[in-house]
Amino acid sequence: MSIEVKHLTHIYNPDTNMAKKALDDISVQFHDGEFIGLIGHTGSGKSTFIQHLNALLKPTSGEILLNGKNIFDPNTHLKEIRQRVGLVFQYPEHQLFEMTVYRDVAYGPTNLGLTIEEIDSRVREALAVVGLGEDMYEKSPFELSGGQKRRVAIAGILAMQPEVMILDEPTAGLDPRGRDEILGAISQMHQKLGILVILVSHSMEDVARLADRIVVFHQGKVAYCGTPREVFSHARQLEEIGLAAPAVSYILADLRDRGFDLPGDLYTMDEGAQAIYEALQEKGL
Amino acid sequence: MEEMIRAEHLSYEYVRTWEEESGSRQERIQALDDLSLSIEKGSFVAVLGHNGSGKSTFAKEINALLKPTGGVLYVRGMDTAQDELVWDIRQSAGMVFQNPDNQIVATIVEEDVAFGPENLGIPPEEIRRRVDAALETVGMTAFRYDTPSKLSGGQKQRVAIAGVLAMKPECIVLDEPTAMLDPMGRKDVIDTVKRLNREQGITIVLITHYMEETVDADRLIVIDDGKMVMDGTPREVFRQVEKVKSFGLDVPPATFLAWKLRKMGLSLPEDILTKEELVGALCRLKSNI
Repeated sequence: MSIEVKHLTHIYNPDTNMAKKALDDISVQFHDGEFIGLIGHTGSGKSTFIQHLNALLKPTSGEILLNGKNIFDPNTHLKEIRQRVGLVFQYPEHQLFEMTVYRDVAYGPTNLGLTIEEIDSRVREALAVVGLGEDMYEKSPFELSGGQKRRVAIAGILAMQPEVMILDEPTAGLDPRGRDEILGAISQMHQKLGILVILVSHSMEDVARLADRIVVFHQGKVAYCGTPREVFSHARQLEEIGLAAPAVSYILADLRDRGFDLPGDLYTMDEGAQAIYEALQEKGL
Repeated sequence: MEEMIRAEHLSYEYVRTWEEESGSRQERIQALDDLSLSIEKGSFVAVLGHNGSGKSTFAKEINALLKPTGGVLYVRGMDTAQDELVWDIRQSAGMVFQNPDNQIVATIVEEDVAFGPENLGIPPEEIRRRVDAALETVGMTAFRYDTPSKLSGGQKQRVAIAGVLAMKPECIVLDEPTAMLDPMGRKDVIDTVKRLNREQGITIVLITHYMEETVDADRLIVIDDGKMVMDGTPREVFRQVEKVKSFGLDVPPATFLAWKLRKMGLSLPEDILTKEELVGALCRLKSNI
C-alpha cells in the first residue's frame, strides 16, 4: 500500500485561546514496501501525525490517500482503514489481557468472524514472524520478558494482516537486549511480509540501521526527508532541533577535523570502525 | 565517609501468581539476593541491569515502597522496615519513576510541584520559594500555569522531578527517568541530575539503560539476577566490554568503537569512555606511525 499525505494540518482546540498548530501543511509520500523511520523530538507532531494515518484523528485540513483513496472521505469505512493500517502504540504490552499468548493474538482475527482454521493460521504466522515459537503459545503473557510481551502485542496487530504497520517507539523502556530483540523482529517482519513499515523513534542509531528513508519532524513540519545518508549529513542542524545523529558520526567528524581521511557519510559502528582502520592502514600501520 | 544508604544482606522475595487455563500458578521470585553495599552521602551512583535484574526492586526498597524479606536496609541510618520511619525515609530519599503520567496529581503544573511541600505543612512563602526554584532548576518555569495533561512526556517528567526537588530530599532515586524522553529531553534531565549532585550535594542513585548517562557517575553498579555483579568507577566497569555484554547491557559508543578497533588489531587503551578520549588516542596512534 502507498500513502500520500497532502497538505495535512491539525490544530488542537481551534477557535479558542488554547489553539495549537500540531501539524502544519505536511505533504509526504510513502511507497509500498518501504521502511520509513519517523524521527522528531517530543512535541514535534509525530504522534499526532501517525494518529491521522489510521484516522484516529481528523485533520483540520488536508487529506491522506491510501492507494489513491482519501481516508477522510465521509463514505470511507473507518473500521476497514484501521484494519489495513495497523498501529502499535507505545508500551503496547499494557494492552495484553488474555490468559495465553495464543488467545491474545487470536483476539483480533476472532472478532473479524474468520473460521477457526483461518484464525489459527494467522496466529501461527504472526507469532512466527516476530520470532515466538509454539512453546510460547500456552504461556501467560504476564510471565514473559518485556521484549517478549511487546512482540506478542505486535503479533496481535500483525494477525489482522495490515497492509501498513506503524510502530510508535517500540523500543521505549527496554534494555539493550530487549531493544535488539524487538528491532530484529521488526526487520524480519518487514523482510518477510514486504509491507510498508513506519517506525517512530527517538533513536537515530535504531533508525539508521533499518530505514530506507528517514522523515524528520520539527514543529509540526517535515524538516528533512531522505535516505539516512542524506539526513545524517545535516548532523549539526539535527542537533539544533534537539535530535542527534548516531554517536559514531560525531567521532568520525572529530577525527576528520584532526586530519583523518574519512568519508563523511558513515553512521554505523561497523562502517566507522572499518573506515578508521583503513585510514590508519594507509599510513602503513 | 558518611553513609546515605547501607544494605546488609538485603533480600526481597515474592510469590508471583497468574492465571492459566489449568488454574492459577505460582512462582517464587528472588528479586534481590543477599545484596550488601553502601552508598556514600553526596555521591552519584548509577545502577545498571537488564529488565528483571532487580534494580527497580532495589530502588523501591530505598524508598520503603517495599520492605526487605531478608537482611536490613538503612537510609541515613533509618531502618526501612520500621513503619514509623516511612515518612522520614521518603522525605530523605525522593523517588522519580519512569512514567511521569503515574506521578502527576494536580491540574496545574505549579500546583503539582507544590503538592509535596503542602502536605509537609510548610508555610506558603516557603512553598512559593521551593516551587519557583524547583521549576527553574528543571527549566519548566514558562509552563507553570499550564495543565500537565497538555505537556509532552518529557515536560511531564521534568515536572515530576521538580515535585521531588520541592521536598528538599538529601537523596533522589531515579528509576529510568529518561526512558520515555527524546535525546534533548534526556540531556536536560541528566544535566539537571548532575547539577543537583554537584551544586546541592544531593546523593543521586540513577537507574538507567542508557550507558552514556552513567559515564560521569562516581560509581557504577551492575545488578544481575538480584545480585551485585560489578562495582567500580564507570571506567573500571566499562573496560570489561565482554563481561558487561554478558549481562545483556551495552557499553558507551566510544568504548564500543575502541573495543572493535582493538579487536581489529589497533593498540588502543582499554579504558576509553568518551568521544574525546577515543579521538585523542587515535590521533596519538596516527602521529606515531
